[in-house]
Amino acid sequence: MNIISVEKNYDLDNNFTNYKITTNENCVYFAPHNEANRHYQEILEWVAEGNTITDNGGAE
Amino acid sequence: MALSTIPFSGLGADASNQGVNFRNLIINGDMSIAQRGTSVSSVSSSGYKAVDRYRYGAGSDIVNTFSQSTDVPSGQGFKYSHKQEATTGDASLASDQYNIFQQRLEGYMFQSAKFGTSNAESLTLSFWIKASVTGTYVVELDNIDGGVSQSQSFTVSSASTWEKKTITFSGDTSNAISIDNGRGLDLNWWLGAGTNFSSGTLQTTWGTQTASNRAVGATNAFASNNDSVYITGVQLEVGTSASDFEFLPYDVNLQRCMRYYQLLINGADQSFENFTSYNGASVYCAHRFNVTGMRTAPTGITSNNTNDFAFYSQSNAHFAPTLSFDHIHERGSWIYCTMTTSVTQGSSLFGKSNTSTALCAFDAEL
Repeated sequence: MNIISVEKNYDLDNNFTNYKITTNENCVYFAPHNEANRHYQEILEWVAEGNTITDNGGAE
Repeated sequence: MALSTIPFSGLGADASNQGVNFRNLIINGDMSIAQRGTSVSSVSSSGYKAVDRYRYGAGSDIVNTFSQSTDVPSGQGFKYSHKQEATTGDASLASDQYNIFQQRLEGYMFQSAKFGTSNAESLTLSFWIKASVTGTYVVELDNIDGGVSQSQSFTVSSASTWEKKTITFSGDTSNAISIDNGRGLDLNWWLGAGTNFSSGTLQTTWGTQTASNRAVGATNAFASNNDSVYITGVQLEVGTSASDFEFLPYDVNLQRCMRYYQLLINGADQSFENFTSYNGASVYCAHRFNVTGMRTAPTGITSNNTNDFAFYSQSNAHFAPTLSFDHIHERGSWIYCTMTTSVTQGSSLFGKSNTSTALCAFDAEL
């Protein structure tokens, strides 16, 4: 997966719920904050490479 | 049969018994399930491509087509094989390049192997292979929890001819595999390896993994354009001998694959969930049950094209380009989307996929 951006996703109560991942594929991924999830692991690697997760807060 | 002829251990405990007792630690060994699609072309990156549960580990310049093929060994009962074909081969792998076909196995599969104890069992791998390039290849068991691995070599003797291979790996008395839902052990076919992975001595007993010892002698299976490797009938079982391949009913095989990947929508005109308009713009499916419990909280995956999903309410059609997911867990999630036109708050909608590119899936692969 070639990650372009990662954004925090919030629910109706403005609680953080998962990460929205945009890639160079024509798909969007919603990965939970879960150590056992492989896409979450890929987010951690992406951040370790110096990238930043976008956080626009919970107001929708 | 006279009662006295039934072994004390019972019928199912005898490896020569050809009934189903789930002795195969591999899921989808007969390559019969391909939820993602039966052919995926122009592949040059790692990941899960066509046939369920099998992953491509890409580290070279090779461009591939992965497919579920009907080319199978004659008279063995198989309907499908996995085919990897290089549309663009690579004759000279750089030192850090490699080409791996693998299945990552969950720790829960290895209770019977008893690794990390004095009673650790041997594991025997059997499979059918048909490769266009003859030579020595390497297959490796990689204990992720223990940080150790063991590699064994095998030979493809005749080009483009089905051959059955049987390889026994010793049990590991020192390093356990955690019995949990994590990545316990990788089964890796090395189909090409640069010198970083092949310049040492092949590690044929369990030991701390050393990169240069992992794939010594591995032939480059995809040196030329159109080189191909077919594999099917993959079985990994406890013990020192291989039993006949354990065929599972199709529905059982599918459900086992769905612990790792569930496809809801793939293409146009497929029925979808019922939704309710939350505030005029966003509509929600209150809770969507997964078909079976998944390995862990999965990733929700959706396509992202104009009008991929259509929803009908009060004699009107409404469209959404993509979906979103909330509160994901092993057994279900919310699905919602933002419509391109407003929907009366509180009204219900029933949905379907609207274009050939529409996709909705859940992924809990290792």
